[in-house]
Amino acid sequence: MAAAAEGGTRSKCSTVGPAATARAAEALVAAFDEEYPDVEHEFNPIGGGGNQNLDAVVANRLQNGDPPSSFANWPGPNLQRYEGVLGEVDDVWESEGFEDVMVQEAVDLHQYNGAYRAVPLGSHRLNCLFYNTSVVEEAGVDPDSLTSVSALIDALETVQNETDAIPMTHGASGTWTTTQLFASTMLGQEGYEAYMNFLDGSPDEAAVQATFESLAEILGNYINEDASSIGLTESNQNIIEGNAAFIHQGNWAAGAYRNAEDFNYDEDWGFKTYPGSEGMYMLHFDSFLYPSNNPSPDVTDQFMAFAGSEAAQVAFNQYKGSIPTRTDVDMSEFGPYLQETQQDFAEADERPPNLQHGLGVPSETMTALNDVISSEFSGPYNVEAAAEGFVDAVSN
Amino acid sequence: MTRNTDTGDDSGDALPDGGVAESGQRSGFSPVSALNERFGSDFVESSQFWLPPFLLVGLFVYGAIIWNLLISLTDFTGFGTPDYGDLDLEMYSRALADSGFVDAAINTFILLVGFTLVTLALGLGLAILIDRNIRFENTFRTIYLLPMSLSFVVTAQFWAWMFNFNNGVINIVITSLGFGRVDWIGNPDIVLWAVMFALMWQFAGYAMVVFLAGLRAIPDEHYEAAKVDGASTVRMYWRVIIPQLKGSTISASVVLMVFALKAFDFLYSLVGGYRPPNGADILATKMVREAYANLNWAYASAVAITLFLMTLGIVGPYLYYQYNRGNL
Repeated sequence: MAAAAEGGTRSKCSTVGPAATARAAEALVAAFDEEYPDVEHEFNPIGGGGNQNLDAVVANRLQNGDPPSSFANWPGPNLQRYEGVLGEVDDVWESEGFEDVMVQEAVDLHQYNGAYRAVPLGSHRLNCLFYNTSVVEEAGVDPDSLTSVSALIDALETVQNETDAIPMTHGASGTWTTTQLFASTMLGQEGYEAYMNFLDGSPDEAAVQATFESLAEILGNYINEDASSIGLTESNQNIIEGNAAFIHQGNWAAGAYRNAEDFNYDEDWGFKTYPGSEGMYMLHFDSFLYPSNNPSPDVTDQFMAFAGSEAAQVAFNQYKGSIPTRTDVDMSEFGPYLQETQQDFAEADERPPNLQHGLGVPSETMTALNDVISSEFSGPYNVEAAAEGFVDAVSN
Repeated sequence: MTRNTDTGDDSGDALPDGGVAESGQRSGFSPVSALNERFGSDFVESSQFWLPPFLLVGLFVYGAIIWNLLISLTDFTGFGTPDYGDLDLEMYSRALADSGFVDAAINTFILLVGFTLVTLALGLGLAILIDRNIRFENTFRTIYLLPMSLSFVVTAQFWAWMFNFNNGVINIVITSLGFGRVDWIGNPDIVLWAVMFALMWQFAGYAMVVFLAGLRAIPDEHYEAAKVDGASTVRMYWRVIIPQLKGSTISASVVLMVFALKAFDFLYSLVGGYRPPNGADILATKMVREAYANLNWAYASAVAITLFLMTLGIVGPYLYYQYNRGNL
């Protein structure tokens, strides 16, 4: 953004965000233009490598003392890696009354070292199990009855016996899909407390080991054989084409279903909270972080206020396939699936932070966890070594 | 800058020792003439041509390497400025204790040696075949060279599809031959060889062109003499022709080894991220991961320096060889 002030002086500034969400970003920019027609802006979508390119660009700019006005990233412990280069947006939170309209987890996770460092734009849900309706019907499985990880494993067995479809499709060319599957499985099987203890650095080794045992059973028997050579997009395609029954993913996967032709919610695909984690919403935030030494403090404040506003959150999230982080938003413009998600979000008993997307552990821990998945748990599945590695990685 | 003909003539034909003494006596000490006499007749006068690029390369290449070395001796992480006051080799000892680093270094070395040797052999074979006055020679040459003109980003995606366990063309071929399917990407014992195979496919054409040029430079008489002496074709190539390809072999292998060290692009595109499949991590990917995922700048610099030393270990002897032959 560059502000065109009276008299023609301009304060330049730019915002950096992920490109995967191009359409959502366009909607966000259009809404911003409507709200602030006088402000010029420069929105740089950067894509590829699951935000890795974005991270690299941002890291270089911050390191070189040339920060963007704001950049998209995850709040929570992920903020630790930006130690010393983030400013504070307490005044934006206060003037916009964000504390009153955002869920408590958003309030907590956007603070670091006693100040607000970012503003949330939207939220994805992580503990999701999606399925292809006709495949589960053919197998005679009722997804809604799956309320434990062992019930899920039984259902996968049934799919394998009754149909030609892949019981659970998994794209494991990157390790992150397995790491996030670990998180949902641990939450569903070992419960909220065990999961939170794991994130907090006091893991119960037996719980971690039991989670990996279930994972080894799922990954060792019920996933597609080409898992290691495909990624999320191809894996998700197995659901759309009816080649697979289930997939675990964040609900960005549902964005692909909406874009697929003749593939409708409840008719062709369905959603089930990951077995065992009913009543919980594993949190993810898309947020805008505020660098200190900001090139355009005033306009950036305007933008941050806008990012947390209803207009921005509705414009962005309906295209991103995520939901507003405000609980006072009119959801009528969203489809039925996201409306349900928003309801789950607002009414959730617990909203545990995710493991793989910045909210649960600092980025270095996350890298260490993924190193463990890569070396011990990408087939063959070495339960003990993986459990030991995970416990070591998070332990304080 | 005017040319001092006196000094120029002196240093041009006189022995350095005598020249220095003479000019010192004749015109007093002059830095220009001293430099000219030390480094050659036009050292100062020609500096306007070579000095700017010399300084630029010195600063941006060698300066950056030295700076990188300095950073690797600090404990620099996160944002801010490194503390140059406390330099030690901690990052290097950390690297040696890091099994991920050791694995990556071993993989880099295997890739380096294996890829280079096989590609050279394949390139030589192709070059000899093409050199047999076959029909459609140019067509074949183009076909073999074509993969090299493709970007790693493109070829990595090709190979990701071809290596697919279920519907990749490679597994389709080997199952139709009666063998079991192979998990090329997912099996940590195989993936490095699969990557090596893909790189070999891409660069064999380059080795072929280099060898072909070498073969064409060998006079026809050598072939004829070998035939007159009754040597078989195999024997002729083995004893007469291949020994004359030393220069081509050395220059091709240096380029290939440098490509092997840069396999980062291929691995990055193969999985769309900084973390290659288990068993295929190399120093380059490890370095980028440490730098940008963990912001461990000092540690990443130590990995970079290790990679640099490996490269130097390859290019150094080559430069020395060329220097001894008077090519530098």
